[in-house]
Amino acid sequence: MPTWPKETKYIGRHVQRVDGPAKVTGSARYTSDVQPEGWLYGMILRSRWPAAKISDISLEKARQVPGIKAAILVREGERTIRYYGEELAAVAGTSKQACLDALRLIEVTASPLPFVVKETEALKDSSPPVWEKSPNLSKPKVVEKGDLAKAFGECAAVVEGFFTTPVLIHHPLETHGNTVSWTDEGITAWASTQGIFSVRDGLAGNLNVEQSKVRVISEFMGGGFGAKFGPGIEGALAARLSKAAKAPVKLMLTRFDQSLAVGNRPSSFQKIKLGASADGKLLAYELDAYGTAGIGSGGSTEGGGGGAEFPAPYIYTIPNIRVSHRGVTVNAGSARAFRAPGHPPASFGMESILDELAVKLNLDPVEIRLKNDPSPVRQREYQLGAERFGWKQKYHRPGSSPGPVKTGVGCAGASWGGGGGGTQAEAQINPDGSLEIRCGTQDLGTGTKTLIAVIAADLLQLKPDQIQVRIGDTRFPPSGGSGGSTTAASVSPAVFDACTQALEALQNQTGVADARGDNWKAACKKLGINPLIVGGKWQPGLSSSGTGGVQFAEVEVDADTGFVRVKKITCVQDCGMVVSRLTCESQVNGGIIMGLGYALYEQRVMDSTTGVVLNPNFETYKLPGLADVPQIDIILLDMPERGVIGIGEPVTIPTAAAIANAVANALGVRIGSLPITPDKVLAALGKTQAAHA
Amino acid sequence: MMDSKSSGNDLLSLTRRNFLKTLGTTAVGTAATQVESVAAELQKLNAETIVGPAPIPIVLQVNGQAISIEVEPRVTLLDALRNHVHLTGAKEVCDRGTCGACTVLLDGQPIYACMMLALEAQGHAITTVEGLAHEGQLNPVQQAFVECDAMMCGYCTPGFLLSITALLKRRPHPDADEVKHACAGNLCRCGTHPRIIQAALKASGVSVTSQTEVIRYADLA
Amino acid sequence: MKAFQYVTAQSVDSARDWLGPRASYLAGGNDLLARMKEYLADPDLLVNVKSIPGLADIEPGDGHWTLGAQVTIARIEQDPQIRKLFPALHEAAAEVGSLQIRNVATLGGNLAQHSRCWYYRHRDVVCLKKKGPTCFARLGENKFHSLFTGNPCISTVVSNLSIALAALGAVVLVQQGKQTVRWSIADLYAKAWDNPIAHHSLAHGDLILKVEIPVEPGRSAYGQISEKGAFDWALVSCAAAAVFDDGRVKQARIVLGAVAPVPYQVEAANDLLKGKKIDEPLAARAADRLLAGAEPLEHNGYKIPMARALIQRTLLKLMG
Repeated sequence: MPTWPKETKYIGRHVQRVDGPAKVTGSARYTSDVQPEGWLYGMILRSRWPAAKISDISLEKARQVPGIKAAILVREGERTIRYYGEELAAVAGTSKQACLDALRLIEVTASPLPFVVKETEALKDSSPPVWEKSPNLSKPKVVEKGDLAKAFGECAAVVEGFFTTPVLIHHPLETHGNTVSWTDEGITAWASTQGIFSVRDGLAGNLNVEQSKVRVISEFMGGGFGAKFGPGIEGALAARLSKAAKAPVKLMLTRFDQSLAVGNRPSSFQKIKLGASADGKLLAYELDAYGTAGIGSGGSTEGGGGGAEFPAPYIYTIPNIRVSHRGVTVNAGSARAFRAPGHPPASFGMESILDELAVKLNLDPVEIRLKNDPSPVRQREYQLGAERFGWKQKYHRPGSSPGPVKTGVGCAGASWGGGGGGTQAEAQINPDGSLEIRCGTQDLGTGTKTLIAVIAADLLQLKPDQIQVRIGDTRFPPSGGSGGSTTAASVSPAVFDACTQALEALQNQTGVADARGDNWKAACKKLGINPLIVGGKWQPGLSSSGTGGVQFAEVEVDADTGFVRVKKITCVQDCGMVVSRLTCESQVNGGIIMGLGYALYEQRVMDSTTGVVLNPNFETYKLPGLADVPQIDIILLDMPERGVIGIGEPVTIPTAAAIANAVANALGVRIGSLPITPDKVLAALGKTQAAHA
Repeated sequence: MMDSKSSGNDLLSLTRRNFLKTLGTTAVGTAATQVESVAAELQKLNAETIVGPAPIPIVLQVNGQAISIEVEPRVTLLDALRNHVHLTGAKEVCDRGTCGACTVLLDGQPIYACMMLALEAQGHAITTVEGLAHEGQLNPVQQAFVECDAMMCGYCTPGFLLSITALLKRRPHPDADEVKHACAGNLCRCGTHPRIIQAALKASGVSVTSQTEVIRYADLA
Repeated sequence: MKAFQYVTAQSVDSARDWLGPRASYLAGGNDLLARMKEYLADPDLLVNVKSIPGLADIEPGDGHWTLGAQVTIARIEQDPQIRKLFPALHEAAAEVGSLQIRNVATLGGNLAQHSRCWYYRHRDVVCLKKKGPTCFARLGENKFHSLFTGNPCISTVVSNLSIALAALGAVVLVQQGKQTVRWSIADLYAKAWDNPIAHHSLAHGDLILKVEIPVEPGRSAYGQISEKGAFDWALVSCAAAAVFDDGRVKQARIVLGAVAPVPYQVEAANDLLKGKKIDEPLAARAADRLLAGAEPLEHNGYKIPMARALIQRTLLKLMG
């Protein structure tokens, strides 16, 4: 089995992001920046009804707008619309202004239908069904183990709680979109995507074009977080507009569009009961949960839970459990994978109720976790983190913090699978000594290019900037989508294999015994006129799956105004063998800050009466800013013997739970509903005046 | 670009008629200085030229270069920079003045290019991210961003660079709170926040070191 | 955004002349352009009022300061004398949007901006404020809405500067027809109290020219609570200004923002402070008077304790 070198010059060290200069000078070309000769703007008309029968859409007036080159329907004939913002038609024109004018001239004949947009309303029998033939509320998907009733009877302490988490929008800063050119030769699509091959296959299948005639390029992309795997309806529309207009079409969604139709994290409503023995050993757990994944949940998904499910009782092993999940369909856009799908809501509910149990048993929250967490890695992480964080000094009985501004601490743990596979890469060694590594992966901002450069540099004893890393093109050897924290663990072994095999081939061909480092240029020169191209593929033994992490949060809560400020997060994360330390740490920061948004600020707000998303913008869908971010203290638990493990997802999981536990510790009352906004804090403290009848 | 045939002429003539009518009233009302008054009003008339809705020629001073383009009055500075000047460093993320990805400097002051009409940016020095480096040499803020890894996907990066470049010009040695205040109008979704603050401080000459601890699991007893 | 024509006015008179029924004044544009992008406003002509001589000046004075309506909020925030003389105004200016907004946004534009109610701002919702049949917020998502109002619309005033200027006793000079009228801040918003469609008392064509702020030998303060630490609208804001005589209040004004369609003032609360030293119990009683009669809805009852805390803190800040 291959192994990573023990002594490294770049692997595991601070190496600057290889595309940093391109990103700071504005020369990095994102999909939204690509401007092929003769390109047109594309724009989508969306439904302004949350539910409606569409009988006719007339594009005639839109086509008359000067500059408009194409106008198409998403689908011919009558159709039913099931959420506000569903795609109806699209136009392409020579300017943004022409397209805006054209959209306003499209005439839609529609009969509005009844709709329901809130989970709590949709689960009632009287609610209008989102899908005609299936109920909004799915049958429960139930898992049972042991004898629950008996176990609860034997518990020394039992606690119950109700926890809710909102629907979140991914909101990558670069919206979903594509620039597509469809000619007789085939389709070239610049895509803002997490999976160039899945976009290729999606376009090919959707548009009935051979996969070999579709090329997808994504050299730089502005974030995805799980929502950007396929071409989407917007990708297919861009291609169809290109064909109709005989010109490349760039169709980037607006921020408004982004809030409606390209994915979200499902909500959760969790009724939890948890019991333990007097010494804190968990014995019994019961969960009755529901949530919505928009139109793609509830009875519309045959299997039950329907997209809003999450692992329960999360990272803990409890002998007696009953878990019930139901999905609730509402008239809103479908969910998509969102950074660690299922885990953040799971962690929030489970870690919250666990702290309630600790309080009831008069146990320290770290102690109850050490008693119950089955992972030896997380056990060590709790010990290391508690010491570094100063847990013993900072933890106090809930609500015992004096003064109006109360301090509190909390902690939570997480696990993630990850792992790698299915990736190929090739190394091209040129006679002048320059080296290209090509791989059909993509860089979401995680630092994939840097990771490739670091590995090649170390194995061949070159400098990272001597290596041209080329990714984001389906003409390169294939790799999978960047999801599930699998990219680093998939790409690294393939690059390892390509580099070691290329080195061997170079040495064989040139007779240089060790062509690395100082000998490199001379050896390459001996290649003559033809470059050497050697492919490699993912190998077992160089990467692993399964990672654990814990986080500690320290907060200040102003009990008079309800304002929560997170002062510090300490994160201890198992990360296997770190390839690129600088970008790895950035990932940890990023996960924590996204968790902070989940904890305190973010939620999609639907309006029951009108059926619209009320906050399709950054004014009222609130993302954390610089002023909101705490001190972040990171401990990376290195396990080089395990090989490469992705950490993009695990680091975002426990943050919200740790913060919520810290707020409960500060106040002595628990806010079981994310985000923890000032109104909820004041209500929990009993200060809020009730509405007039 | 949009075809310049347009139906705005009715409005134009109507408004002019109104204006001239007013001019007459003013002139009559100030008979004693009638001549000067008419002259003054005529001068104003010249200054107050109504433009649009069809595209009009404008000149933008971008990164030290005068660039002539034709745009409708409704075209924003961001649209003009990206799609007419073809400088795509400033990004369109919200198009509503809420995220800062389109931040450019107008006479050295950060503004949202998405919320300013391109024609109103005439006569001002505009700096975009493409104008920060000189002869291939990154400016200190750019350099610090690379060294501190103050970026991930990089889509918010140009906006932050301009906000911080302007801050350092105003306050060469800001503290972290001043950096936060100066960058309050810039959003990042990847979570580069701590490193943006680090990079700003580093660019101002403060030495910044990573506090991250690395512990080998195998070394733990 | 719909196509429009554009003209730069060189005088107040010509600005008014250009302003036909389908025209709008354009100052900083943050509010107007955002509404135009959502098709909430679709003027045929924008009349740029930024170049009118004299409207972008800050004129210091012994009796009062005069700020032109076209002075940017960044200039107000950064002026060291304003910071010293009118701390409430400085603090309110520093909380307006972000630096990018403040560098462009004007004093007049801030005062004349429209409601930020998320129903009003939604392109596909025709609410009462847009002459629709009903206020959806009343029975809907009203977390950010009014505790006090004299009409069925429950959106709130969102101008930070109006709250500070009301506490400072500022006078607004408004060009109305051929004459310049002098309004208190209360006058500037009075119409919004009664009329669900109004955002302020300005009629179409009225133009804010200047704001006069009396120099009083007292102290002032402004504070707001938002959900985020920066660049977020106030859930509640409060400004207070007082003149002291031997440590006792001679005269005081307390104003609440984001709880009513107008900067919210209660004379009885101001009167309560007269002749007294400000301490915690007095501040609490003043808060009681200000908040008496609040009518919380389903989601905004939290604003009452929040405002109470903020009133007390702002008043105590006056004591230094």
